[in-house]
Amino acid sequence: MSEGDLRRRLLFLSVAAFVLAASPSASAADRSLEYAVKATFLYKFAPFVDWPPGALGDGEAPFVICIVGADPFGDSTERMLEGQRIGTHPLALRRLAVADAHAGCHVMFVAGSPAQPVTQALDAVRGTPTLTVTDAPAAPGIIRFVMINDRVNFEIDANAAAANHLTISSKLLALAHTVSDGDRR
Amino acid sequence: MSPQSQLQVVTRYGAYFALAGVAILLVAGFFISNYQDYLFRTQRLGEVSAQSSILAASVTAALAFNDVETAREYVSALASNPEIEAAAVYDTRGAMFAGFSRAHGPLPHTLKAARARNGGLTVFTPIRQGSLALGTVYLTAIEEPSQRRFARYAAIMLLAIMAALFLAVMATAQRALRAVNSELQDRAMALAAANRQLETEMEERARAEEAARQSQKMEAVGQLSGGVAHDLNNLLTIIKGSLHLLQKRLAQGATDVQRYVDGANEGVERAAALTRRLLAFSRRQPLSPVPVELSSLASGMSDMVRQSAGERVSVAYRLDSTWKTVCDANLMENVILNLAINARDAMPDGGTLTIATRDVRADPHGADEVARRDHIELCIADTGFGMSEAVRARAFDPFFTTKPQGKGTGLGLSMAFGFIRQSGGTMRIESAPGRGTRVVIAMVRRAGDAVEAAS
Repeated sequence: MSEGDLRRRLLFLSVAAFVLAASPSASAADRSLEYAVKATFLYKFAPFVDWPPGALGDGEAPFVICIVGADPFGDSTERMLEGQRIGTHPLALRRLAVADAHAGCHVMFVAGSPAQPVTQALDAVRGTPTLTVTDAPAAPGIIRFVMINDRVNFEIDANAAAANHLTISSKLLALAHTVSDGDRR
Repeated sequence: MSPQSQLQVVTRYGAYFALAGVAILLVAGFFISNYQDYLFRTQRLGEVSAQSSILAASVTAALAFNDVETAREYVSALASNPEIEAAAVYDTRGAMFAGFSRAHGPLPHTLKAARARNGGLTVFTPIRQGSLALGTVYLTAIEEPSQRRFARYAAIMLLAIMAALFLAVMATAQRALRAVNSELQDRAMALAAANRQLETEMEERARAEEAARQSQKMEAVGQLSGGVAHDLNNLLTIIKGSLHLLQKRLAQGATDVQRYVDGANEGVERAAALTRRLLAFSRRQPLSPVPVELSSLASGMSDMVRQSAGERVSVAYRLDSTWKTVCDANLMENVILNLAINARDAMPDGGTLTIATRDVRADPHGADEVARRDHIELCIADTGFGMSEAVRARAFDPFFTTKPQGKGTGLGLSMAFGFIRQSGGTMRIESAPGRGTRVVIAMVRRAGDAVEAAS
């Protein structure tokens, strides 16, 4: 599949996500579209985030996106990310059962699993240059997806980002639904 | 090239020069305004590019994460700039994500349609976040408010018109100047012609005067010759008669012939005196100046004057002068005698001859050199018939005489005048018909005496 086809499909999906998300009953199809949008967001966050020097490795080292726990995105994720680059780094997708500090993930979507709940997974990579993304209201990572007016949006915890030595672009912060900073008063 | 032919060239081609000047100014104005347009357009393009870049940079996140509202806010912010006509954000596929348009037609819904549009200042800026290409910003602005452009062109047009007017005024002024110049030239030529004519007339006149003088001279020579011949003839007659009688008496054996010898001698003496006078007139006879007291001189010759004056004329003296002058005493006597005889001739019915002298102090405002110094006046006056102004004016001319032919040589007064001038004095005649004549001779006081008097 060519890059153009992928793009077209991705766009179709994201447009469809807005359209279909408006319908009152969220069907399974709606959810799959929602997760397709979230999947693209995962790698689109990357250009808006500064990793500490050396965290991304040398020029050709892969930029690793990890999905930890039960994968909600499905098989199409690989095809979506195929051929994409973050700067000079080719994208790599890795599915992990459990997270640990040495997994080498740059972006980590934590879905959680009975083996390792979301909170534990987050704790495991705390302090490492990992952009954590969650879907769970109870255990927010650095970025947490939220649905607002049937649209995918996100909240950002700048404090948690700082703990992981990451700097998040003000542009992204401006777009976020809620920006948590300081000591979460 | 002479100034005149230069003038003609300017005259002939002046209008073309003016037109060429206007044309050059207009062309220059056109180029300047075009260049200004170009500069302005470049500057505006820079401004529009900058705004487009700002929009591209700020809209990245909204475009990446499908936040149409935020993107629309960013795009709409540009609407506050009245010079921006349309702005739009297209995604990587070329579909419009957000945009606004002011009046002129609908916004192009695809990037392709936007690129197909032309006119105005249009800028396309790629939207990137890091290496991630997200889409394209389309921004179009009006090139320049029309009134501003019009004002700019109007300024240049005004300049060109003013320049043209200036040139026209210059040309008109030059034409006027040329007209004045040619008029002046005409006048100068007329003046030159008049001058030439005048010169010719003057030359003719000079020639005529020269001819008249020549004939006068010839006439004078004739008069003189006649007078001298007449005098000499008389004397020769006396001498001849005396010698004839002497011869006759000697033939008769008489011894009392001294009378005749004396008569002949007298004739010879008189002839010698005549030639002496002629020589003196021609300045051949040297003067022998000595200090002379004019009063004594005049009184010393009273017998001679008495005799010359004749019975009908009484002679009066008023000799007040005591100063001395320097001149030839004999010639001064001659002058006085000559004037006395003239006075007698002017009074055929009798009258009074007055001889007077007086000393006159120097007058710094005097009419001539003599009057400005101490001098002695010798005045010989008669109560005769006087003379007309015309006669008086010519009285000192040589060979001028009012006496009948053969009676006078016309040299008396002119010789007297020549002598007085030679002796450093002046001589003038005061007369009017019927009122007598007064001859005044002024002689400068002897230098040494003047110094003594002053010290």
